[in-house]
Amino acid sequence: MFCSMKNPVQRRYVIRCWIGALLVVLLTLVAALSFRVAHLRGPLMYPMATLPALPIIWVLIETGRYLAEEKDEFQRNVLVQCLLGGIGGTLALTTVWGNLEHFAQVPHLDLILIYAIFWFFAALTYPVVYRRYR
Amino acid sequence: MECVEGNPAVKRFLWRFAGAMSGYVACLCVAIVAFVHYRPVGVLAYALAVLPALPIVGLLAVFGFYLAEEKDEFQRSLFVQSMLWSTGATLAATTVWGFLENFVHVPHLQLIWIFPLYCIFWGIATPLVKLRYR
Repeated sequence: MFCSMKNPVQRRYVIRCWIGALLVVLLTLVAALSFRVAHLRGPLMYPMATLPALPIIWVLIETGRYLAEEKDEFQRNVLVQCLLGGIGGTLALTTVWGNLEHFAQVPHLDLILIYAIFWFFAALTYPVVYRRYR
Repeated sequence: MECVEGNPAVKRFLWRFAGAMSGYVACLCVAIVAFVHYRPVGVLAYALAVLPALPIVGLLAVFGFYLAEEKDEFQRSLFVQSMLWSTGATLAATTVWGFLENFVHVPHLQLIWIFPLYCIFWGIATPLVKLRYR
């Protein structure tokens, strides 16, 4: 999968994204175990709870770095448009759902899902953007 | 977006922005009055709850229209970079807060605050991005 990518910047980015995803799973397990099994208390609770968010922030930084390093202007432009589509969709959905939560008492949407929702909308934008350039 | 007078895209953006915000205030007032005084139920409750979100979704479309209509490539680039920085900051903040909510039970951040949060980050990002080009 990674070998088929000729662009080294792209390959580096994809590998780092996978490492980030694995770290999120791993650190979420560590945090969950420390709270549920070890019953962590005190000031250590906050850094431990924040721990699984760190790889996500790292992937966000890597996305920025990829945009800065990517030489192919077309690829960069496509990704930028996908990211804008992703945030547009995310903000629209969270605003609609937020109003429904506030006024119509629909179930609460977990904040940690917002990152996944963002990438979902970014992925949805991809074929639309790509079709424009055909 | 400094040269408002000479730039028709900025002028249109500001008019549309003002229209969407006025629509938001009007829809929010309608929803609040309806829920406080008439306590709607069923489909009507959902429709009224979604009502204030519609101008915000329209506002997101206004951002897209501006990007499509702006002829000045430098201004468009500044706009896009500010949006990307605020996207990253919003996703980082919501993810961190989401994990804190899940593990440490910090107060719940309502989803309706995500769009204002994005705008705050955008307000911070815009002058910082401009600073890079001085």
